Amino acid sequence: MLTAIFLPLILACFIPFLSKWKDSIHTGWFVLPIPFSIFVYLITQVGTQFSPFERSYSWIPSLQINFDLYLDGLSLLFGLLISGIGSLVVLYSVYYLHKSEQLGHFYVYLLMFMAAMFGVVFSDNVFALYTFWELTSLSSFLLIGYWNHRKGSRYGALKSMLITVFGGLSLLGGLLLLTIVTDTTSIQAMMDQKETIINSPQFGWILGFIFLGAFTKSAQFPFHIWLPDAMEAPTPVSAYLHSATMVKAGIFLIARFLPIFSLSEWFFIIVSTVGIVTLCWGSYMAVRQTDLKGILAFSTISQLGMIMAMLGFGTKIAVFAAVFHILNHATFKGSLFMVAGIIDHETGTRDIRKLGGLMTLMPITATLAVFGTFSMAGVPLPFLNGFYSKELFFDASLHLKGEGLAQTLAAIIPYLAVFGSIFTFVYSMYLFFGTFRGEYKEKELPQKPHEAPIGMLISPIILVLLVITIGLIPELFNSALIDHVAEAVKGEPMEKHIKFWHGWDGTPLHMSLIVVALGALLVSFRSYWSGVYKAVPGALSLNKAYDWLVDRTEKYSSTITNGYMNGSLRRYVRLLLIAILLGTIGTMLLTNGLALNPTDVEDVTFPEMLVVIMMVLAALATIFTNNRIAAILILGVVGYGLAILFVLYRAPDLALTQLIIETVTVALFLLVFMHLPELRKRHESAGTILINASIAILFGAMMTIVGISSYNSKWFEPISDYFLETSVKLGGGHNVVNVILVDMRGLDTLFEITVLGIAALAIFNMIKLRRKKGAKE
Amino acid sequence: MSNLAVLPILLPLLAGIIVAFFNTKLTAVRLFSRVVAILNLIVVSYIGWDVYQNGTIILETGGWKAPYGIVLVGDMLAMLLVITTNIIAVACVFFASKSLSDKKESYYFYTFFFLLITGVSGAFLTGDLFNLFVFFEVLLMASYGLIVLGGEKVQLRESLKYVLLNLFSSMLFVTVISFLYSVVGTVNMAQVAERVQEVEQKGILTTIGILLFFVFATKAAVFPLYYWLPKSYIVPNPVVSALFGALLTKVGIYSILRTFTIIFHHEVDITHQLFLWLAALTMLFGVIGALSTHNIKLIVAYNIIPAVGFMLMGIALFTETSVAGTVYYLIHDMIVKGALFLLVGAIAILAGTSDLRKMNGLIHHYPVIGWLFFIASITLAGIPPFSGFIGKILLMQGGLEEDQYAVVIIGLLTSLLILFSMIRIFIQGFWGEKDETFTPNKKGARGFTWPIAFLVFFSIYLGAGAETVYPIVEEISKSLLDPTQYIESVLKE
Amino acid sequence: MEMITSLLAGILFATGIYNLLQKQLLRIVIGTALISHGAHLFILTMGKLKRGNPPIIVEGVENYVDPLPQALILTSIVISFGVTSFLLVLAYRAAKTNDTDNMDELRGNENE
Repeated sequence: MLTAIFLPLILACFIPFLSKWKDSIHTGWFVLPIPFSIFVYLITQVGTQFSPFERSYSWIPSLQINFDLYLDGLSLLFGLLISGIGSLVVLYSVYYLHKSEQLGHFYVYLLMFMAAMFGVVFSDNVFALYTFWELTSLSSFLLIGYWNHRKGSRYGALKSMLITVFGGLSLLGGLLLLTIVTDTTSIQAMMDQKETIINSPQFGWILGFIFLGAFTKSAQFPFHIWLPDAMEAPTPVSAYLHSATMVKAGIFLIARFLPIFSLSEWFFIIVSTVGIVTLCWGSYMAVRQTDLKGILAFSTISQLGMIMAMLGFGTKIAVFAAVFHILNHATFKGSLFMVAGIIDHETGTRDIRKLGGLMTLMPITATLAVFGTFSMAGVPLPFLNGFYSKELFFDASLHLKGEGLAQTLAAIIPYLAVFGSIFTFVYSMYLFFGTFRGEYKEKELPQKPHEAPIGMLISPIILVLLVITIGLIPELFNSALIDHVAEAVKGEPMEKHIKFWHGWDGTPLHMSLIVVALGALLVSFRSYWSGVYKAVPGALSLNKAYDWLVDRTEKYSSTITNGYMNGSLRRYVRLLLIAILLGTIGTMLLTNGLALNPTDVEDVTFPEMLVVIMMVLAALATIFTNNRIAAILILGVVGYGLAILFVLYRAPDLALTQLIIETVTVALFLLVFMHLPELRKRHESAGTILINASIAILFGAMMTIVGISSYNSKWFEPISDYFLETSVKLGGGHNVVNVILVDMRGLDTLFEITVLGIAALAIFNMIKLRRKKGAKE
Repeated sequence: MSNLAVLPILLPLLAGIIVAFFNTKLTAVRLFSRVVAILNLIVVSYIGWDVYQNGTIILETGGWKAPYGIVLVGDMLAMLLVITTNIIAVACVFFASKSLSDKKESYYFYTFFFLLITGVSGAFLTGDLFNLFVFFEVLLMASYGLIVLGGEKVQLRESLKYVLLNLFSSMLFVTVISFLYSVVGTVNMAQVAERVQEVEQKGILTTIGILLFFVFATKAAVFPLYYWLPKSYIVPNPVVSALFGALLTKVGIYSILRTFTIIFHHEVDITHQLFLWLAALTMLFGVIGALSTHNIKLIVAYNIIPAVGFMLMGIALFTETSVAGTVYYLIHDMIVKGALFLLVGAIAILAGTSDLRKMNGLIHHYPVIGWLFFIASITLAGIPPFSGFIGKILLMQGGLEEDQYAVVIIGLLTSLLILFSMIRIFIQGFWGEKDETFTPNKKGARGFTWPIAFLVFFSIYLGAGAETVYPIVEEISKSLLDPTQYIESVLKE
Repeated sequence: MEMITSLLAGILFATGIYNLLQKQLLRIVIGTALISHGAHLFILTMGKLKRGNPPIIVEGVENYVDPLPQALILTSIVISFGVTSFLLVLAYRAAKTNDTDNMDELRGNENE
C-alpha cells in the first residue's frame, strides 16, 4: 500500500524528464500503467474472504505521526475507485488533451493527487490523513488552475483552495482534539474508546470541527459553491477529482468515524439535515444551469448530499445504500463527465442552449448518455444501478426513528427525499434531451460535430458497462465488496440482498413512480415554472456571499491597516507607550507591586538638590525653547548636571566619561543642526498637547514608581562585593570599575567598541553616499 | 567548561573586521566571506553536535566564575538557533553579490553582515542580561548600517523611525535591567532566575518582568508594538530584508522565550494570560496587514507578525507541547522567512516591480522561482508535509489541551488567511497569460535560485525529516520548563 | 535622596518622551538624549548612592559604593554615544534628502 502512495509520487518526479519524447509519445501513456497496476493489485484483494489488515511505516514516531496504513472494506472501495477511475481518466485524457498542452504539469499534478488520495483513504494515522488531505486540496488547486491564463480558472482555483483548506484546518482541530481525548493517533485505536470520546467535554467541538472539514470537502450546502467553479479544470480532472474521488473524501471521513459519532443523536440530526438540504438544493439548482458541466457539478453536489444523508441516517440499510451509491455514482457520473467532455471537444461548446439534436450525429455518445442519465435519474429499469441505490435510499428514509428534534426530522425526510429526487429526474432528462434531442442548431456551434474518436469512447463505455453489470447482477458486487465496505463502516456484519422487484405494494417503489410521474410533468412544462428561480435564489446567492466576504476581507484589511499604520512616528510612539503603560500599570496593580515607603535611603543635601533642580529646569526648558542653539546647549546642561551627580555619587570614571562624551555630543549636535532648519513654533491643538503631555508625564511617573519600588525591594545582596574583594587580588587593579570593564565584563567592552566601530562605518557610508549624490545633482 | 562557545561569536567578528580593511578588493572579499560563512556553519554544526552529545557547554569569559563574570551558555536551544542563523547567513552571502550593486557591496556590506551575525549569535548564547543588551546593540547597530546602505530617500525616511523606536526600547532595556539588579542584585540570568524563584516573584518583580517583556516585544514585533517593522523591512536591499526578516524579530522572541520560561514563570496567570491575548491579536492584526496591500514585499513583511503571534502563543500556553511548538516554529520561521524575503526580492528585481497588480504570468518565464515560491508559501501557511506544519500542530495541540478554543480558532483562521495572502501573489503574479513582450533575465534568475533553493531544502527537511529534529526540540522544551537544569548548569559547575 | 534622583530620572524620561512626540527632528533627537540620561541616572540610583568611597581600592578602607552599576553605565554611555552620533547623521541625511525635518511629512504612503 505504501507503494500505492509513493509510486505515483516517484513517477511525478520523473515526468519532467520525459519531455524529451513528448512530441512522439503522449505523456499519458507513461502514466497509465501506474493506476492500472495498483488497480490490479487491489482487485486481487476483493472477494468474500477479504479481511482487513494493517501495515506501519514510521515517519515521525516521536510525534506519533506515522504512515500506519489500514486496508479494510471502505478503503478498499475507495482505493479501487481511485485507481480504477484513475486509469480510465488517464486513458481518456490521452485523447482529450493535445500534445501541445503542458502535459508534464498536468500529469505531475494528477499523480500527486492520486498519491494523496490513496494516502487519505489508506491512512490510519490521523496526522498522516490530514497531511494527505491537504495535499489533495493543493493538487486540486493546481489542476483547476491548469489553464491559468483563464480568469475563471484562477478564480475557481482560489475559491476551492480557500474553502477546502478552511475545512482542512478545521479538520485538523478536530483530529487534534481526538488525539488529546484518546491519547492515540490511530483511528482504529480510537474505535476502542468510543465511550471516552462521546462523553468527553470536547465532544461537541470534535464533532463541529470534523464535520466542517468533511462538509467543505464534499461540497455540502452551504460550502458547495466551490465545486461549480472547479469545473474550469480540464474535463478529465472534473470527472476524476470533482466527481469520483476527492469530493468523496468528506464522505469517506464521515463513514470512517461513523461508528463513533453515530452514538450521538446529533450525528443523525446534523449529517442528515445537511445531506438532505444539499440534495434538494443541488438538484434544484442543477436545472437552472446552462453549462453541461455546470449541470453535472450541481448534480454531483446533490448526489453527494444524498450519500451524506444516508450516512447520517446511520441505519444498516442506509449505510449499505450509501456505500453502494458511492460506487454507482462514480460509474454513471464518471461516464457523464466524459460524455460532456466529448461534446465539448467535438462541438466546441458546453452551452446547452446551443446544443441539441446531436443524437444522429453522435449515436454512440448519445447511447452512453442515455444509460448515464437514466441511471442517475433512478428510472425503474432492472439494468440501471442508479435505480437500486435510489430505491434503497427511499427505503432507508422510511425507517427512521428518533425522539424530539430527531423525530420531526425523521418525519420530514421522506418528503424531502422525494422532492430532491424529482429534480434529479428533471435535470437528468434536461441534460439528455437538451443535448441529444430537439432541434439541431448548426449555426450556433463553433465547429461541426461528429462522433468522437474511439480512444475517447473507451473509458465511458467501460463505465457504462459497469453501470449495466451492477444493475443486472448486483449480488456479485455485494458479497465481494459492498458487504465488506458496509461492515467496515457500520462495524457489524451485513447481509443485505438487493432485489429488483419488491412487489407493487412496496412504498419505495411508489415513491419512485411518483418521482418519475411528477418529474416528467415538470420536464414537459419547464418553461411555465422556470420563473421560480427569480424568486429563489434570486439575487441572494451564496456565491455573492463568498465574493463579498473575500472582497470585504481585503477592503477592511486595507482600511484597518492603513488606519493605524499611517507612517506617523508620533502615532507609533504614542500607541507603543500607551500599550506599555497599560500593561505595566495593570500588572503592578494586579500583583501588588507597589513599594513606595522609602527604606534605607541617603539624606538629601543642598548641593545635590541644587544640581537636581538645575537639571529639572533644563530638561523642561528643552521643551519650551524655540531656538535650536539654546535647545542644544540646554541639553548640554542636563548632561553636565549628570556628570556633577556622578562626581557627587563617587563615580569619578563616569563623571569623566560623561563630561567628554557630552562635550562631543553637543558639538556634533551643533554641527548637524546648523544645517537644518531653525526650530519652529509649534502649531499644535490644545488636545494634541494634552495627549502628548499626559502620555509623557504618565510614563515618567510610571518609571519613577517602578524604579522606587525596585529600590525599596532590595531582597538580595548584590554580587558586587565579590568584585571589591577580588579586584586587586585576581584582577590586578585598584580601580574596581576599570577591572570590571576590562576583565570581569571584558566581553561587554569588546562589543561596546564594536558598536562604536560599526557606527563609525555606517556614518562614513552615509557621508560618502551624500557626496556621490551631490556630484550627480 | 569549553572555549568552543565563543567561536560562533568570534569567527564572524574577526571576519567582519578583516573584510573592513579590504573593502575595495571586492572579488577577494566575496570569496573570503563565502568561505568564512560556510566554515562558520560547519563549526557551529560541530559545536551543536558536541552539545547534543555531551550536554550544555558553559564558557565563563575571562575565567571569572559565574555569576560574576559574563557566561556564554551553549545549550541546545542556543546552538540550534545559532546553526539556523548560520544557514541563513550562508544563503544570504551567496545571494548578496547577485542583488547588490558592486558599489554597495564595497561599502562595508560584508562587515555589517558579519557583525549582524555576531550580534545575533551572541544574543542567543549569552547568559547575562546586560551582555544581552550589548549584543542587541551590536546587531541593531549592524542593522542600522545595513538599512541605510544605499541612502535612498525612502530608506532614510523609514530607517529613521526604525532607529528611533529601537533606540527608545534599548534605553528602556538598560533601565529595566537596573531595576532588576536593584531587586535581585545580579545580572546573570541563571542567578536572576534562582533569586526570583527564591522570593516567588513577589512584589515589583512581575512588573519588572512585564516591562522586560515589552522591551523584547518591541524587538519581536508583538501587537501593538510592531509599527516600525513592515515598512522599514522592505526599504533595504532584498538580502538585507532577508537577514532582518529571518533573524531580528526572532532574537526578540528568543529573549521572551528565555526570560519567561526560566525567570518569570511564577505569575503565569497574569503574565502568560496577557501574552495569550496579545498573541491572538498579533496573529490577527498581522495577517490583516498582509491582506491589506498589493506590494509583494510588504505582504511578506507583514507576514512576519502573525508568525510572532504563533510563537508567543506557545510561550503563553506554557506547556511542554506548546513550548516545543514555539521552538520548532522559531527555527522554521527563520528559514522560511529568509527564503521568502529572498524570493520576493528576486521577483521584484526580475519583474521590475513589486506591485502585484503589475505582474502577470511570470511562471512562464521563471518556473523554478515560481515553484520555489509556491512551496515557501504553503510552508509558511503550515500546510503539511512542510516545516510549518510540525510547529503548528504542536501549538494548536497545546492550545486545545488547555481548552483555549478561541485562540486556537484564531490561529487556524490566521493560517488560512496567511495562505490567502501568499497564494494571491502566486495566482496574480505567476499565473496568467504569458507576456510575450517581456524579456526574462534568465541568467539573473539562476543566480537567485541556488541560495533560495538551499533554504527551501531545509524547510522541506524540517517538515519531512522532522524525526531528526523534533526529539531535540522536545528536550529543549523540557529543559525550558525545568529552569533548575539551566540554573545548575550555569552556577554549579 | 534616591527617591529624588528616581524622580529626576522620571522627569528626564517624561521630558524626553514629550520631545520624542514632537514633529521636528531636532526635538526628537534631543528627546532620545534626555531619555538616555534618565536611564543612566536610574542605573546609578539602583546601586545605592553615596554608601562609601569611590570604588578604587585603598588600603584600610572598607566601604565602597557598588561598582557594578558604574561599569554598566560606562558601557551604556559609550554605546548611546555611538547610536546618538549615528542618529544625528541619519537625521541630517534624511532631512536633507527628503527636504524636510518634519516627521509628519516623512510618513510615506502605501505601496512604495
